Amino acid sequence: MLGEVILVGVMVGAVYALVTVGYSMVYGILKLMNFAHGDVYIFGTLVCLTLLTKYNLHPVLAILIAAIVGGGLASLVELLVYRRLRAEQHRLISMITALGAAYVIQNITELNWGNQVMFFPSIVKSKFINFWGLQISVTHIITLFVAVLCIAVLILFMRYSRYGKAIDCVSQDMDAASLMGIPINRIVSSVYFMGGLLGVIGGVLYSSSYNAVSLGMGFRGTLVAFTAAVIGGIGSLGGALLGGMILGLSENLIGVYISSSYRDPLMYSLLIIMLLVKPTGILGSSDQAKV
Amino acid sequence: MMMGSGKRKWLLLGGLTICLLLVPMLVTDIYILSILNMMIIYSILCLGLNLILGFTGLLSLGHAAFYGIGAYTTAILMTRYNFGFGSAFFASAVLALLVGIIIAIPTRKVRGDYFCLITLAFGEIFRLVATAWIEFTRGAMGIVRIPMPKIFGIPIATETDFYYLGLGILIFTYLTIKAITDTRYGRAFIAIREDELAADTMGINTAIYKIMAFSIGCLFAGMAGSFLAVYQTVVTPSNFRLEESCLMIIMVIVGGMGRNLLAPLAGVVVMTVATEVFRSVADYRMLIIGLIMILVLLLRPQGIFGSSSFKS
Amino acid sequence: MPILDTKDVTKQFGGLVAVNQVSMTVNKNEIVGIIGPNGAGKTSFINALTGIYKPSGGQIFFQGKDITGFPAYKIAKQGIARTFQNLRVFSNISVLENVLIGAHCRIDNPFHHIFLRPLRSKKIERQAYAKVIALLKNVGLEEKKESLAKNLSYGEQRTLEICRALASDPELLILDEPCAGMNSAEMDTLADFVKKLRDEGQTIVVIEHNMCFIMAVSDRIIVMTEGAKFREGTPAEIRNDLEVQKVYLGEQEVE
Repeated sequence: MLGEVILVGVMVGAVYALVTVGYSMVYGILKLMNFAHGDVYIFGTLVCLTLLTKYNLHPVLAILIAAIVGGGLASLVELLVYRRLRAEQHRLISMITALGAAYVIQNITELNWGNQVMFFPSIVKSKFINFWGLQISVTHIITLFVAVLCIAVLILFMRYSRYGKAIDCVSQDMDAASLMGIPINRIVSSVYFMGGLLGVIGGVLYSSSYNAVSLGMGFRGTLVAFTAAVIGGIGSLGGALLGGMILGLSENLIGVYISSSYRDPLMYSLLIIMLLVKPTGILGSSDQAKV
Repeated sequence: MMMGSGKRKWLLLGGLTICLLLVPMLVTDIYILSILNMMIIYSILCLGLNLILGFTGLLSLGHAAFYGIGAYTTAILMTRYNFGFGSAFFASAVLALLVGIIIAIPTRKVRGDYFCLITLAFGEIFRLVATAWIEFTRGAMGIVRIPMPKIFGIPIATETDFYYLGLGILIFTYLTIKAITDTRYGRAFIAIREDELAADTMGINTAIYKIMAFSIGCLFAGMAGSFLAVYQTVVTPSNFRLEESCLMIIMVIVGGMGRNLLAPLAGVVVMTVATEVFRSVADYRMLIIGLIMILVLLLRPQGIFGSSSFKS
Repeated sequence: MPILDTKDVTKQFGGLVAVNQVSMTVNKNEIVGIIGPNGAGKTSFINALTGIYKPSGGQIFFQGKDITGFPAYKIAKQGIARTFQNLRVFSNISVLENVLIGAHCRIDNPFHHIFLRPLRSKKIERQAYAKVIALLKNVGLEEKKESLAKNLSYGEQRTLEICRALASDPELLILDEPCAGMNSAEMDTLADFVKKLRDEGQTIVVIEHNMCFIMAVSDRIIVMTEGAKFREGTPAEIRNDLEVQKVYLGEQEVE
């Protein structure tokens, strides 16, 4: 039993990590709490649902299209709203604007799909296999595999591609990067795109393994991303992975052994405790203000 | 600021107050009065929030929770323990203040965006507890049949009665916050918003002042909640969702935050009227609120009626 | 007895020793200049003095009282006021309010008085207002009292910052690179102003990069390099010290 619970926890953790990575990268560059993150990925997930059920597209194709739509929506929001506030504004102003953007996307999503819980088909045939005495669902294995694959690709991309290095430069020092001829706007835009893209993949994986999706998961997803990023260390890739894992595992353990109604209170409490005790997260380093 | 043009301003305020006192004699429409009463509640909330957000620069996404603490305190005390409205009102305000202090103490040193997340999490925890703790709060059903309040033996029954009671609380709130912010305390709050480190070197104990601004803001939220409880006669957890906190923030920002206390009140009026006008298109409510929020912040971050902003 | 007396003040950041056992004294009514090349630890030393950093070692006595490790706001209350290297005026509020905030810890108006003794509270606020107006007149900013600080010229903002520090009636005023970004005419005006303050009884510590300015205003000069005190003496002594010239002027052109 415990083995299965942990495995599912790891699966959920990997999906959370996917959702968190995008948010955390945005934070790393712009220091902006993107409240619209969860709503973007739910929008993409619902696009995928429509493609799957209405147009009977092949799951891989549907996910690809939905992910690109999600990425596009994220960079559209950046282009229309956040970009104008980037240079000059007080941090709070852009945070509140992000809330406004979240409202708008939420409302558009609701107009198209409503706010009730919908059935989300499994991407793969759900069956159980016996693996070293553990009863494991194939869906979970594939979900975990896809999530890990995406993260691995992202890590390789960030480490070895020119783009990845440019993103790293921009998050270290935007002005200096700009002077070095790195096109800031394009980089920021693409980070949003990647964040939305990965978020949608995470959202689809999550929804298909639980066979459910709803508008409310968007706001929850935003909070999952916040919490996981804060636990691991906000702004860092490794931190997002670690935080996602910790959150997914602990949620699942509590859900199974105590009660699933404690899932959300657990998340909020973890968030508060981390922010009070070690706001830089497990992997984060402290940033000393310069006087 | 506090001298000179002050006289004209007090004259204006006096005139405004008299007009507000006369309103029920001219308006008898229950619907309009009920909107006015909701405006009064939001005005009290926004004056408190302006102290936290506009003066001190702390973005609290949990203001609705303190509003809720006030409402539930009054509801429970009046329905279950036979408290009168006066003592329940007082208890609500004090409890909101205390919880405000309890939240503010550990968060006094965390960074602005983390503070925002903590208050958000607190607000959600409050709502989850209010929903889940059925024996105490009756869960999602809410507490119903809150008795009619009496002030000095006079029952407050009609919309007009509530209007005067609410207006009284609003005027009290306004004068108190005005009195506080016209002294070195108000300036210390602003200094923290502008540059916390510089404020520190001016001899301002920034931790204490942040706790002070936050908890005083919460105190008034508690009062607004208490009034809501007797006015609606029902309180449910859905009255205190994150959306409510966001709506208050939008009202303060649309009006304009900071020194000019009338600006956030104007924001309340604008946003309430807007939501009423758009009631027929309720499906688009959040879209409209979100768009107003974005447009105001992009085009006029100091708010429609404000003069100064965070813009640097 | 010196007004400020530091003993082996040290500040470390991890392995980096930013301030290394600096001992110095400041006497009443004198101007002490601290010079040194970039990265010599001047500002870190001042930050340790004013409570922005907690010193890692050593002691700081102010008017005979041990203030080591006090938080910044308490040190300000004790009577040390400062300005910042990179201007930190409160930009979105009026000049007047900026200076009133500077006077914060000298406005003796307890919170409960706002409600219990409102007239007294108002009177105290009015007195503070009058004092601040006088101060603004003194530095020539009175006409701009209602303008937002960010709308002042750069030089005026520098003056405002000094004025804000003076509003707290400091026993010791610390100016951190007050001439940064000034032209030579503005610098001369500032030098006159600083000397005038000293003549009125103010005790001042000035950190500066600019040799000319520091030579013109200081009664005594401390040279810092690599976090430690290197020399101390009168402007004439420092000027003629060959090793100082090597350390300091090696980096910057002689003026």
